Amino acid sequence: MKATFPQMGNIYIAAKALFEGLGIEYVIPPKCSKTDLDIGSLHSPEEICLPFKLMIGNYIHAIEKGADTIILAGSCGPCRFGEYCELQMNLLKSMGYNMNFIVIDYPKDIGMMELYRRIHKISSESKKNTIQKINALLNALKVLNLMDEIEETAHMYAGFERNKGECKNLLIECKKDTLECDNAYSMIKIMNQYNQKLNHLSVDINKNPLKIAIIGEIYTIIEPYSNFYIEEKLMDYGVSSSRKLTPSWWVKNAALSPLKINSLKIRKNAKKYIPIGIGGHAVECIGEAVTASKNGFDGAIQILPMGCMPEIVSKAVLPTISKDLDFPVMSLIVDDMDGEAGYITRMEAFIDLLERRRKNALSGC
Amino acid sequence: MIVGIPKGLLYYKYNPFLFTFFTELGANVVVSEDTNKNILDLGVKHCVDEACLPIKIFHGHVASIKNKCELMVIPRVMQLEKNEYICPKFCGLPEMVLNSIAGMPPAITEPIYAYSKNSLYKWAKTAGKYVTSDIFKIRRAFKCAYEVQSQHRTGINSNQHDIKIALVGHPYNVYDNFSNMNLAAKLDKLGISVETMEFTNDFLINMEINNLYKRPFWTYARENYGFAINAVKEKRFDGIIYISSFNCGIDSIIIELIKDKIGNFPLLILKLDEHTGEAGIDTRIEAFSDMLERRTKHESNIPTNG
Repeated sequence: MKATFPQMGNIYIAAKALFEGLGIEYVIPPKCSKTDLDIGSLHSPEEICLPFKLMIGNYIHAIEKGADTIILAGSCGPCRFGEYCELQMNLLKSMGYNMNFIVIDYPKDIGMMELYRRIHKISSESKKNTIQKINALLNALKVLNLMDEIEETAHMYAGFERNKGECKNLLIECKKDTLECDNAYSMIKIMNQYNQKLNHLSVDINKNPLKIAIIGEIYTIIEPYSNFYIEEKLMDYGVSSSRKLTPSWWVKNAALSPLKINSLKIRKNAKKYIPIGIGGHAVECIGEAVTASKNGFDGAIQILPMGCMPEIVSKAVLPTISKDLDFPVMSLIVDDMDGEAGYITRMEAFIDLLERRRKNALSGC
Repeated sequence: MIVGIPKGLLYYKYNPFLFTFFTELGANVVVSEDTNKNILDLGVKHCVDEACLPIKIFHGHVASIKNKCELMVIPRVMQLEKNEYICPKFCGLPEMVLNSIAGMPPAITEPIYAYSKNSLYKWAKTAGKYVTSDIFKIRRAFKCAYEVQSQHRTGINSNQHDIKIALVGHPYNVYDNFSNMNLAAKLDKLGISVETMEFTNDFLINMEINNLYKRPFWTYARENYGFAINAVKEKRFDGIIYISSFNCGIDSIIIELIKDKIGNFPLLILKLDEHTGEAGIDTRIEAFSDMLERRTKHESNIPTNG
């Protein structure tokens, strides 16, 4: 078995740690790019959302490198993501690739036995003993958490840094160096070093940079290609940004959701505007917007793929929040047309707006 | 108390229930008009741009009666079957409507879980409290409404022509004659009979579903898929017309699954949106009917591949 998985933000780093630990052969698909999108849009159904199209591109690239098994997370919520597996299987079959699909669904939908059977399909490939397997999993989780932590710090410090571009460079180098390691322990070591470096960065705490929260659909905010590297661009502008939805958040959320103690704060803040979960990450999006405004952020940018069903609901709610809390929110809709300039213009205009709001507030107008 | 019921989305299937329930409670019921240009325009004006046509039309219905009623019913239909949903937009419908339309009267936004009589009664209990505090009256009204609904049948099944097609799609697209531009009547004029999903047994539908790797978790996706595949298998039909709305997330998947299964069986997909271009729809169904006619009359015994 040679396993692969779709690209989605930092997940590839954790997956690398996991497969190295398990001793399973794997392929990391190349980072999402224009070719991925082109391949995806060529073969995918026209009206499907952007993540599907990018994933198809990822698969094709991974298959070219010899992958024969695709591991994919699933869901049975009302959002389209849960139906991806069926369509992708058919699509790859019709393109002439005979791939194994291992879909990790919630146990409440497919049954514990079925989940166990599917996980067993992966773990039976590994020659390690049970303790080593559990260790590999724990290390992968640690890697994931560390990476998300580093990323969060870098995005937040970017507004405060004295030497421009330092945060961004550190983040890029950290990812590059981690990818070169061949086991989870050295990955953790390197990441800890970078974490130290970030925490000892020379910052100017008297600066008061703009703070923007990134909210919206999880794939499009996590995968930088799909949102035109918005976070890197915000770092370039010296804007601090914060994004609470991360792969490690997702793991924690999925683990805690059967007990209903997941993301309490988000759900509490969202309650006034969306009282019940409607699938996807609409509740999180609304909750994040409210939290950000309470935490003194200047504004929020919602990113959603064209036609995303839950996010359309939250897009309808956001103007009310914006009005109620006097909190600017901009929605960016991404699709497979790559008109980067359009997005950049809007982002810049939004930053200008936030700056002007601040100045006016200070001069007392 | 004047209760407003918008004539959109699942109204076409479940109108007897809502109507009977509120009249039995002693409320005056205001139902919006049939969908028309005015309602569509209102909907487009009030709704977020990204939403699909049926949702926009629903907004239009709400906006058209919001000043005529004291209480609006916004059915937040979560589930019609256990472990199945309709679409996230249905679950968040009250949020969309209440945040998009200004000056709304109070609204009933309780979630509806309609997979059993008991779970539906829970909704009726809370919804009824808006009108009356008499719990016995609510129970009576609910019983009556449930009775009327269970005797109500929707569906089109005409048999007067030689050519017959399966009409697949969500109920709000199939039965809303404004948004589908009178499709059934148009097909009738072209000499094509129509049958909808309601005349295929649930058992046959579920049989097709079991062949899928993953059971679809949308009720109408399951029904439409099962019906379409069954229609091809049973050879009762000459073709399939799928009425879908532009940017419908569910249809974008189901149409692909159907296409994948049926091979070269005639399938026409009609996409509806707020641009009322009737000529385009006419041309397409005329071309489709010509094709079906040629297939049945002239080429029935000759393999098309020579």
